[in-house]
Amino acid sequence: MLNFFQLIIIYAGIYALMAIGQNCITGNTGMLSLCHAGFFCIGSYATGIICKTLGLSFWFSLPVAALCSAAVGFLIGVPTLRLKGDYLCIATLGLGEIIRNIATNVNPVGMMAIPRAELFGYQFSSRNKITFIILVWCFVLIAYFLFRQLAHSRIGRAMIAVREDEVAAQSNGINVAKYKIGSFTLGAAIGGTAGCFATAYTLTVQPGSYTFMVSVMVLCMVVLGGMGNLKGVILGAFIIEFIQYFPQLVGLSSVIPAQASQIIYGLVLVIMMICRPQGILGRDNYRYGDPRSLREKIRDSFKRPSKKEA
Amino acid sequence: MRKTLALVLVALIAMFSVFANGGSESTSASSDTYTIGFIGPLTGDNANYGIRCSNAARLAIDEINAAGGIDGKQLALIAENSLGTVDGAIAAYEKLVYSDNVCAIIGPVFTSPALAVAQRCYEDGIVMISPSATHKDVTSVGDYVYRTVPSDSLQSEVAAHYFYEVLGYRNIACLYAMNDYSQGLATGVEEIFTELGGTVSAMETCMVGDKDFRTQLGVIANTDAEAIYIPNYTVEDAQILEQAYQLGMDLPFLSSDGFSDPEIYNLAGDFTDGVIYVGPAQAEASTLLADFQEAYSAAYDGDMPDSFATNAYDATYILAQAIDRAGSADRELINQEVKATNDFNGANGIINFAANGDMVASQGVYEVHGTTPVYLGSFQVVDGHIVQVD
Amino acid sequence: MTTLIQYLQYLLNGITLGAIYALIALGYTMVYGILKFINFAHGDILMVGAYAGLFIFTFLLGESTNAAWMLIAFFIAMLLSMAFCALLGMFIERVAYKPLRNANRLAPLLSAIGVSFILSNGAAWLFGAQSRRFPYPFDDTPISIAGLAITPHQILTVLVSVIMMVVLTVFVNKTRMGKAMRATSLDQSTSELMGIDVNKVISLTFAIGSALAAVGGILAAFDFRVYASMGTMTGLKAFVAAVIGGIGNIQGAMLGGLLLGILESIGAPLFGIPSALRDTIAFAALIIILLVKPDGILGKNEREKV
Repeated sequence: MLNFFQLIIIYAGIYALMAIGQNCITGNTGMLSLCHAGFFCIGSYATGIICKTLGLSFWFSLPVAALCSAAVGFLIGVPTLRLKGDYLCIATLGLGEIIRNIATNVNPVGMMAIPRAELFGYQFSSRNKITFIILVWCFVLIAYFLFRQLAHSRIGRAMIAVREDEVAAQSNGINVAKYKIGSFTLGAAIGGTAGCFATAYTLTVQPGSYTFMVSVMVLCMVVLGGMGNLKGVILGAFIIEFIQYFPQLVGLSSVIPAQASQIIYGLVLVIMMICRPQGILGRDNYRYGDPRSLREKIRDSFKRPSKKEA
Repeated sequence: MRKTLALVLVALIAMFSVFANGGSESTSASSDTYTIGFIGPLTGDNANYGIRCSNAARLAIDEINAAGGIDGKQLALIAENSLGTVDGAIAAYEKLVYSDNVCAIIGPVFTSPALAVAQRCYEDGIVMISPSATHKDVTSVGDYVYRTVPSDSLQSEVAAHYFYEVLGYRNIACLYAMNDYSQGLATGVEEIFTELGGTVSAMETCMVGDKDFRTQLGVIANTDAEAIYIPNYTVEDAQILEQAYQLGMDLPFLSSDGFSDPEIYNLAGDFTDGVIYVGPAQAEASTLLADFQEAYSAAYDGDMPDSFATNAYDATYILAQAIDRAGSADRELINQEVKATNDFNGANGIINFAANGDMVASQGVYEVHGTTPVYLGSFQVVDGHIVQVD
Repeated sequence: MTTLIQYLQYLLNGITLGAIYALIALGYTMVYGILKFINFAHGDILMVGAYAGLFIFTFLLGESTNAAWMLIAFFIAMLLSMAFCALLGMFIERVAYKPLRNANRLAPLLSAIGVSFILSNGAAWLFGAQSRRFPYPFDDTPISIAGLAITPHQILTVLVSVIMMVVLTVFVNKTRMGKAMRATSLDQSTSELMGIDVNKVISLTFAIGSALAAVGGILAAFDFRVYASMGTMTGLKAFVAAVIGGIGNIQGAMLGGLLLGILESIGAPLFGIPSALRDTIAFAALIIILLVKPDGILGKNEREKV
């Protein structure tokens, strides 16, 4: 039980990294992209090739994976500048599928028995989950602080300006193309590192894993947590992974049919969206700058709603 | 605010159920049952194979329990969904091995998850018997990893020799899907067939889940191939047969054990006539296979098992016998006993394990007459020539 | 030695494949045109339509082998399945999308993904994971014309998709309800002020879109079989087709579907690359088309006003 919960935390960490990347593209700059599975795939393969084929260290593969994904993100970012909204979404989805298709055609089995990550002679094995949790969540924290700084910087405000109104941003002297490509590249890079950790944990790379459903799930995490809110995005990643593996965690999966747990998953998605369309930690437009302190908020949430409010 | 409250409540309930279940956890590995785990895709595109295999394993366990269990102890099966992905398979593995404390695992069903799980099984020292992961690398992971399905190389060797020596084809074409199973067989047959002196005039590919094969068939029709080898799963094979008919092609088709699924006759109907396929061998004068198929069909609303389900059924019996001989749920003892399996008489004939955990068995060849497969005999390749065993 | 006749055959195969995509893309385009959101559950409604059609058809058919009754039963099954899917589509809209109409644009997308999970897994639970064959209601012996092979069900598919496209175009452009739809798609709140019942229009759009999905599902079932996840990839391809043509545009959906089908069919032999990369060709073509025409081939290029 505890062991399985640790596994969920590891998976949540890996997906939280992806969601942070997706948030940079979708939440900050407002571009609807659906190819995080592709970046994930490239990161995983980069790690697989560097650690297995070239026999180099995991720590070397980490920046390389990020760079490879960033390069692809850049290549995708440049031509898709012309596209807006759902057209961009479908073009990126196509790119994600192309990446998976090519990976499958190169070798449908993928890679296996990839050496583990090592630090000063200590091996991050999948049996010892605590250290792996520390490893992954350290990087989630680093990414969180970096991207929080970014969001609060001039660059971040420029990105938000692009999201809110491209034309207005441009007329205020913001180089829209630069920020769009930049956020694509950054988002891709962090997606690549997520792939790196996934490989280090499962020690296998399977091209069949990187379907467009992965991209969709990552987007779900961002929307569910609250777009543009980094804490929310990480929470979203945790919640989605938690719901996904909840039946296995509590042993329900051996009692109810496998499809039923997937149906519950779907139901929870629908209900959560209907309850909080702006995401769990999303901005409440009408309560912008809530004067209440955190304590008051918590107290209020347990208070019965007054007639006036309802 | 009410919504927030509701969310908090949901979270609390979730947490409570986690802890509530924590108490009952220890009973799952209680001493009067042996728990066996199963990992396979129970939802998604390939759920068919996972569900059939888990059904077959469950059937075997029910039969054993009905016959009194093992030394009075009952067997229990916990089937976990791998979602068809590596992540999912690892999660299922973790749940089975650490939460449920199973004494051995049947599965995973497909090669890529099997490779990931095999690695863990080897490290954790727990027996894993895959009913359908055919890739040559699966058993090379190490000890504790077995399979009741012939490896690609074994099947493709028999197939290529049979096509060349017995059927007399000198020029064939392959149409295979880009997955470990199909590609392994197709490239294996290509290699050996060419070595024997034949020509493979087209190696056409498709993706798993493709529905339209007319382009590939068109390309093949333009070559001098005398026959088409289609080592795919049932659904793809059925599509290929029907679309070849629609395009007016009348080349004979050759296939692999993916074809030995009775489902094909529902899906492809009469188009299966004349197909020759290599599948599991049958023990002469044994009704085990027929008995199994009948029992399976009775237990699961007339659904018929495919060859992978038959493998899962055999795997479960092999495991049960090993547990019986080991006399305990000790994972190491079970491994020794599975390794010591000698001439196991299962639905797929006599099964032994090689030192690396691969299945040693001869291969059967079948020819479909109308919609009925006719057994042509079982074959082995000895000294570079095909020999009929019985 | 690929001859001209061979290429014509690929082209023909592509057209019939594309007709299926086109038919499904019509439904996608309808819903998108009004609500501007990607209905991920559309593919799964298609699957429900195929199952409904299959069950009703086999039930009506019973033991009968009468050729005329088979045809009649097939059309009854198709109509009932359309009706069923229309109701289902309206129901889903009411429950899962309507509460989110004023939320941010991605919220209904997520809700749709949830619905898609529920439908496809529900079907797998109820009907099992194996594929089923949809029996042909007529003699499906292939016809050979000048060395080209085609089957009656393929001809039917092409015909139905063309008819559907024409009917829809007429409906949207000539009828009162169609006018209301166009108004709603331009501006919901203004149309409401003009006395258009927007809820009704949206419900109707979902009903029509889902009924089209049912037809698409049944016709696709001849070629693709009926199984629980049949909607996922087919739906995705159809969506791509709708985007290529210019989403929201009815003729565009048809054009996009045919183009996608032809590309898939003819692309691999034409460029001499492995057939397993056919999806890569299709998606690459999609991206190239979008880069040249960012709003799809027949899409209106809307300049952003400042």
